[in-house]
Amino acid sequence: MSCKYVIGSGPTLAHAVAAWREHDPGQRLHEVAVEPGAGRAALAAVLDALDFADADAFVAIDAQHLNFHRLALVDALHERGVAMPPLVAASALVNVAVTPGENSWIGPGAIVQHGCSIAGNVVIGAGAIVGAGAAIGASSWIDDGVVIGRAATIGAHVSLGLGVLVGHGVRIAEYCVIDRAGRIDKDVPARTFLHASHAGPIVIVGH
Amino acid sequence: MQSRLPPQAYIDQAWFERERELLFKPLWQFIGLKGMLDKHNAFITRTLFGIPVVVQNLRGELRAFENVCPHRQNPIQTAPHGVRALTCGYHGWNFDSEGAPAHIPFEAELYRYSPEERACLHLRRFALECIGNLVFINLSAEPMPIKQQFGSAMTAALAHCSLAFDNEVAMTTYDARFNWKLVYENLRDANHPSFVHAQTLSKYATFNAKVDDAALESLHRMRADGIPDKARALALLRSFSGGGRDEPIGHIPHQSWFDEVERYRDHDWYYNWLVFPNLHIASPTGGYTFTIEHHIPVGPDRTEMVVYYFTAKKKQPYPASPAVLHDLMLSTDVILSEDIGVLEQVQRTLHANARPARLGDYEYINAGIEPWYMDVMEGKIVL
Repeated sequence: MSCKYVIGSGPTLAHAVAAWREHDPGQRLHEVAVEPGAGRAALAAVLDALDFADADAFVAIDAQHLNFHRLALVDALHERGVAMPPLVAASALVNVAVTPGENSWIGPGAIVQHGCSIAGNVVIGAGAIVGAGAAIGASSWIDDGVVIGRAATIGAHVSLGLGVLVGHGVRIAEYCVIDRAGRIDKDVPARTFLHASHAGPIVIVGH
Repeated sequence: MQSRLPPQAYIDQAWFERERELLFKPLWQFIGLKGMLDKHNAFITRTLFGIPVVVQNLRGELRAFENVCPHRQNPIQTAPHGVRALTCGYHGWNFDSEGAPAHIPFEAELYRYSPEERACLHLRRFALECIGNLVFINLSAEPMPIKQQFGSAMTAALAHCSLAFDNEVAMTTYDARFNWKLVYENLRDANHPSFVHAQTLSKYATFNAKVDDAALESLHRMRADGIPDKARALALLRSFSGGGRDEPIGHIPHQSWFDEVERYRDHDWYYNWLVFPNLHIASPTGGYTFTIEHHIPVGPDRTEMVVYYFTAKKKQPYPASPAVLHDLMLSTDVILSEDIGVLEQVQRTLHANARPARLGDYEYINAGIEPWYMDVMEGKIVL
């Protein structure tokens, strides 16, 4: 009988296990804890001990390290050819034509309207609204209740925190963190961090 | 011992304005990192002591100008940094590497300047020097040689460490509500981390405050006899900047990205460079990461803290480098916020009749700067 490994860390792992149980009560689940930020060798040691012959997986690590910790585990599972089907909560309203990428997770009560694209390894929290035609880049994190306007673009590795509202057509470029409640009505350049703890933005320049 | 600095030195507007003229304007000031100015038309803007400044790369040459168009006083560059021609957005005046107008749209038809008048239209230029990857400017019409301020050894040390800096840099600005001197005094107070940073910095680095009897004796002599001449004053000024290995740090948890950078040296030490008056460079991770704090005085009780976060030079680009800088910023912010919190508390206690601080013998470094500082402020030493 097939099983699913839910691999991750902290409260996000526990939350994902509960969500998969609710989503598919008959599924055999194995919860596997890893250290977020573990190097390739450490991840390999954990994954080598698992039997993926008749199993798929789901990775549940929060947005830390601009979602790269979650991505590292997704990549390691990719290399092993392990499938990571998305998790869409039964109470989420996702337009039928929208196909979330692998290892994406759409929480309860979220609304994803027609014409949206949801790349791989995306987390859309409970009650979030993604307006028609919006594009959500890979390995991004959209917290509970966030509102993304129609035709907005969210780049890869972006995190939007509680209370963020992105205006229609606004572009948040890749590697941004917006963790300050409020409405974003102007495009945000790549590698910009807006935190509630900082009055001004933190920006990265150069390469 | 009682501090020589009266409370007015921390709260009084007239004192602050005198300080800007007598202390800051003659001294070389950090303005930014050379790596941020590595292409034609790359620029940085800052307001230093009320003067808007632009530093711009003009075909490979770094130039510092007052960031004000001579036509209608509009700032020429309006962003804090970027890549854009030195062109005023108000009426399109463009300037060359000497700060002279290279092109004034409709000049003949609309402006009709005489040759003499046009010759006066150039931008006000400031002296600029680079030490390694660090860019300094001087606002004085007759700037002192930069080595006179920092000395050869410190100049070499800054050049050496700054060449290890990576060019991908995270930056932010804190609007701190305290006098700039509180932060430089705090940085030279090795007794505060075990109290203010008990749960953070002190967990992995122990800063041992010590009493240096020989230094104390020389301090007491200076307090009694005064500073005899300008040569001695300049020697003292050079002695206020220094740094390098500060304290050994405990085990540094290996991060997977450590392999992506060329570590500065290979010692598990906390590196600190204190560049008088208002620059602090640190590597709290034994040469893997760096932080620069630039404390820009904007009022007697306000300091703009521009903070730069970066790693040692990357061996090659790697995808997660923005995440490394974001994490570095978050972890450094905890410690900076602890310092800012205490210093803002101190600032709030100060008033015109406040008693001066009572320094302990371990604070001989701060106490040693005070007679020099007061001589500058009283006009006995002219920089």
